[in-house]
Amino acid sequence: MESSTTFFDYNDSPYSIRAGLVNAHKDYWQTLAKAGSWFNGAQRVAIAEEVRNALQCPFCAQRKTALSPYALQGEHLKGNVLSDDVVDAVHRVVTDQSRITKSYIEGNVQKGFSEEQYVELVGIAVNVLSIDEFHRALGLQSEPLPQPVAGEPDHYRPAHTEHDTGYVAMISPDGAVGPESDLWPEQTANVLRALSLVPDAVRSWMKISNEHYLSMEAMGNFTGPNGRSINRMQIELVAGRVSSINECFY
Amino acid sequence: MLSLSAELSEATVNLQMINGDDDATEGDVAHAKVLMHFAESFARRDDAALHEARAALLAEAGPEILVDAAGVAANFQRMVRIADSTGIPLDERNVALSADVRKELDLERFPSAMNTPKANLKVKLLSLIARPMAKIIIKKMEAQRNKLEQ
Repeated sequence: MESSTTFFDYNDSPYSIRAGLVNAHKDYWQTLAKAGSWFNGAQRVAIAEEVRNALQCPFCAQRKTALSPYALQGEHLKGNVLSDDVVDAVHRVVTDQSRITKSYIEGNVQKGFSEEQYVELVGIAVNVLSIDEFHRALGLQSEPLPQPVAGEPDHYRPAHTEHDTGYVAMISPDGAVGPESDLWPEQTANVLRALSLVPDAVRSWMKISNEHYLSMEAMGNFTGPNGRSINRMQIELVAGRVSSINECFY
Repeated sequence: MLSLSAELSEATVNLQMINGDDDATEGDVAHAKVLMHFAESFARRDDAALHEARAALLAEAGPEILVDAAGVAANFQRMVRIADSTGIPLDERNVALSADVRKELDLERFPSAMNTPKANLKVKLLSLIARPMAKIIIKKMEAQRNKLEQ
């Protein structure tokens, strides 16, 4: 692990990486290293490490092919910072997410692994994965993980949440007010609400998505310039093919 | 989104490219085949195929397109995990908007489709007008944006 601002310099990249991407990746590494709402910096960086372990984990590979992912017992390839339940959740999000169920999350809550922690964990896992995957797509090495920054989680929970859809509590469609007013305009979508139990998790993935994909504003522009070298149809072709292989109905 | 962007651009696109049909024609999507192969080898985690697809995309379209395509591909490794890990259904308006495309691509076969309730009568009726209405609204918004930018 490293502690510096030299992350993501892309000096070894054979391709020029546009500044927006570089800045989004650097910014997220700084956010990752600090305490969040429900995990401290060391735990957050350990979750990032488990994202990488999951992709090499023999137990995950075995479980992926099992008829029931909840019946199989085994040991994950893992570090030693996080509890087994937290490690298992990271590995499931990375390698077998389509078989996560509401009862799995509720079972963890009964063991003291809260819904808020689960949502923050999902946020970290998907952001680290997408940055690592950007590197893999270009044949670049993954970036070393940052050194954790000391500090305690703030235990921030937004005011207007409800269990109206999905497996976890989310801010209600009209509840993005006050400190959460930046999360979405008048209209929202379930994918924006999904991680809103931890508002910073939404902010983090939106910042990366603005660069990897498109900003919210650019998403409403189907035919004009979008600040990318590929037009909207090309963008959606890549998005659609990846999503199809991932069996993404959403 | 591919279908909608093609309709709004008055362009031809073969949606079966989403399902990886190698015989699908490229239509008006430049570099469609190399982009499709790049996305596919990446998502399948096939290192050898990805190496080849990356080289082909680079040779045909150049480094800027390669980098932007890598960003989009990486982004959609995230989106499926957010959706599935939290069990969110497709939004009602999107169910209506994308009914025909989901049928054409047979997306109901995916396990995560179970998180979205089957379309009720209201949604089925809405689906008849949702797409034409969305096109009118988006075109108006784009015209307004263009006016402001001039």
